[in-house]
Amino acid sequence: MIVGPMLDEWYPVGIFGQLDEAGRKTMLMGEPIVVARNGNGDARVTDSTGRSLPVRVRYGHVWTSLGDPQKELFAIPEADQPGRRFVDVGVVRVRCSPLRAVENFLDIAHFPFVHTDILGAEPHTEVQAYKVEIREDVDEVWATQVQFYQPQAAKSASGGITTQYMYRVAGPTSTVLYKTCPPKPSEWDVITLFVQPLTEDLCDVWPWMALFDDDTPMTDLIHFQQTIFLQDRSILENQVPRLLPLDPGMEMPTRADLTSVAYRRWLKRHNFTYGAQLVAQ
Amino acid sequence: MMKLYDYILSPSCYKVRLMAALTGVKLDLRAVDFHPGLEHRGPELLALNPAGSIPILEDGDLLLTESSAMLVYLAAKAAPDWLAGSDAQEAARVQQWLSFSGRLTASLGGARLHEMLLRPGDIDALRASGIAALRELELGLVEQAERGQNFLAANRPTVADIACFPYVALAPDGGVPLDPYPAIRLWSRRLRSLPGFIEMPGIHRLHELKPEPQLETGEA
Amino acid sequence: MSLSHGFVRGETLSCIYHGWSYGQAGNCLRIPAHPGLTPPDAIRTVTHPVTEADGVVWVAVDEPTAAPPGLAGLVPLRSLTAFADIAAIEAAAGVKATADGLVNAGDIRLLLSSTRDGETLIHVLVSADAGPAARIAAARIAEGLRRKAEDIYKKGAAR
Repeated sequence: MIVGPMLDEWYPVGIFGQLDEAGRKTMLMGEPIVVARNGNGDARVTDSTGRSLPVRVRYGHVWTSLGDPQKELFAIPEADQPGRRFVDVGVVRVRCSPLRAVENFLDIAHFPFVHTDILGAEPHTEVQAYKVEIREDVDEVWATQVQFYQPQAAKSASGGITTQYMYRVAGPTSTVLYKTCPPKPSEWDVITLFVQPLTEDLCDVWPWMALFDDDTPMTDLIHFQQTIFLQDRSILENQVPRLLPLDPGMEMPTRADLTSVAYRRWLKRHNFTYGAQLVAQ
Repeated sequence: MMKLYDYILSPSCYKVRLMAALTGVKLDLRAVDFHPGLEHRGPELLALNPAGSIPILEDGDLLLTESSAMLVYLAAKAAPDWLAGSDAQEAARVQQWLSFSGRLTASLGGARLHEMLLRPGDIDALRASGIAALRELELGLVEQAERGQNFLAANRPTVADIACFPYVALAPDGGVPLDPYPAIRLWSRRLRSLPGFIEMPGIHRLHELKPEPQLETGEA
Repeated sequence: MSLSHGFVRGETLSCIYHGWSYGQAGNCLRIPAHPGLTPPDAIRTVTHPVTEADGVVWVAVDEPTAAPPGLAGLVPLRSLTAFADIAAIEAAAGVKATADGLVNAGDIRLLLSSTRDGETLIHVLVSADAGPAARIAAARIAEGLRRKAEDIYKKGAAR
C-alpha cells in the first residue's frame, strides 16, 4: 500500500494522560507503532524498527507522523483560553474509512434521524443555506453560517434552540466544530473529532472538547459526546462503498452536502487518498 | 429514590433503565466513568461491588450487583405482570432465559467491547459463541410463535425479554449481524414498539411509529 | 447505507441516515433536508420484481421468465441461515434439489438460496396439515440438518 502525501500529516495516537511506560501498542496507516511515556514523563512514539517518530502533545492527545511533516500541527487557539473545560472523551474504534468518519461529522442533515430528540427531530429537518470555502491562506475547509434546530444541543442546554455551527477541516482526518455555547452566548464551544487511521477501513476515533460549562459533571460531558458518537458508529459501519468516493457521480449530493463536497475536493487536490476510492467500482 | 450506578453505553445498565422506563419507575442515575476513566475499578465502586462490574442498584439497605436481580426487583415493586405467573412452564421459561442472558453478555457483549472500546478478548471465539446463542434464541422464539406466544416466556413481555434484548440488539456493534434471524428481528420490533420504550446509543428510533410529518419549509 | 436499516411509513421506504424516502417504483419522493424540493427523477434506488405465493415471498433479480413453482400442500415454517453451500446441505439431506429447487428432507422440505460464498438461506416448509407439535418438531429437525450440513461443509473446505 502506498500511502502518498497523507504520510506527512499529523495523527492522534493516544490520550497523553493515560500513557504509561509499558506503552500503547497500536497502528498508524498499517504500520505497527508503540506510544509510551519515557522516564522523563515525555511521550515517545516508535515504529516497528524502533525508530522514534516526531511527537507533539496537544489538545489532550499525543500526535505523530510516519513521514516528515511540512506543517506544524494545526492551532486551536481556544485550547489556551482560560475558563474552558477540556474533555478527553476516550477512544472508540470504528470499522470504517477514516475519511468517512470525518465526513459524517461534517453532516447535519442526519441529525433528526440518527440523533433523534438530541441534535435534531422531525419535522425540523430543513438544512438552510450556509457558506463553504477552502481558505487558501491556512489551507483548510471551512463551513460557516450553518444553523439547525436542536432539541438538546448540549448537556447544558435546556429545551430546543436553533444552534449555530462552524465546521473546520484542519487536517485530512482532523476536524473541529464551533458550536453555540448555551451558558456563554458570546463564545463558541469547541468539539473536535480526531481520527487515527489504522487501515483504510478501520480507525480509532478520539473526540475531544473545550467547553464553557462550569456546572455539568465531567462524566456527564463525556457520556453526552459518547452517546452522540455511538449513534453515528452503527451508521458508519454500514456505509457503502466502504472507501470514500472522491470522483463525482457515485453519490448524489444536494445543497445540504456542500461541506462534504468541499472536503472531498480538498482531499483530491492534495492527493489525500488513504481511505478513499478514486474510480467508481 | 432508587440509585443506579450507570454507564450510558453499557447494555447491562440499559436493561435496568429500560425496565424502569417501561414500568414507570424513576431512577436516580449516577454516571460512572467506565470509559475512558475505568471508574468502576476504583475504590468507591469496588467498595460497593468487589466484582468491579456495573450496574449497581441501591435502594435503602438493598444493594444489587446483578442486572437480572434488578429487573426482578423493579418488576416486583412496580409491575408484577412482568414476572412469571403461576404457570409452571412459564416460570421455568423466565428462569431459563434470565440465566441464558449471561451467555449473551459473555459472548456478544465481549465482542462488542473488543471491537468498540478495544478491550482484550479472542474475537473469533466470542463471535462464534455469540452466533450459537443467537441461534438458540431464534429457535426459542420460533417455538413460542407456534405456541401462540409473542415473547420469550409468555404472550406478554416479561423480565426475561428485557434481560436478553440489549446484547442481542447491539450484536452488530461487535460485528455480529442480525440479518439471519427473522424471529429475533420481529421480537425486537415488538419490544421497541412497547409504550414507554427508550433507546440507547446503537439502537435507533423506530421512525415508522410516528406518522410522516408535515415538513416546515422556508423555501418557495 | 443499506435501505434495509430504514423504515416504512405507508407505501414509502425511507433511509435511516437522512430520511430520503422512496416509492414503489424506486423513485425518490422526499428529501427532508430540502422540504420544498421535488427530487429529480435521477435519484432512485434499484427495484426488483417481487411476488407472494403460498406464503412465500419470491424476488427475481431481473424480469422473471416464469411464475414461482407451486408448493401445493406445503406451508412455510421458518427461515434460517447456514454457513454451508447448497451441495453440503443436499449432502446432509441425502437428496438433491428437484427441478423446482425443492429439497425433500423427509419431515421437512427446503427451499435453498445462496446468499454469498459458503452461506445459504434455508426456507423450511412443512405439510399444511401439520399441527403445532409437529411444526415445533420440524423446526428442531431443521437445526440438526443445519449442524450436519455445516459439518460437511467445514470438512470439505478443510480438504
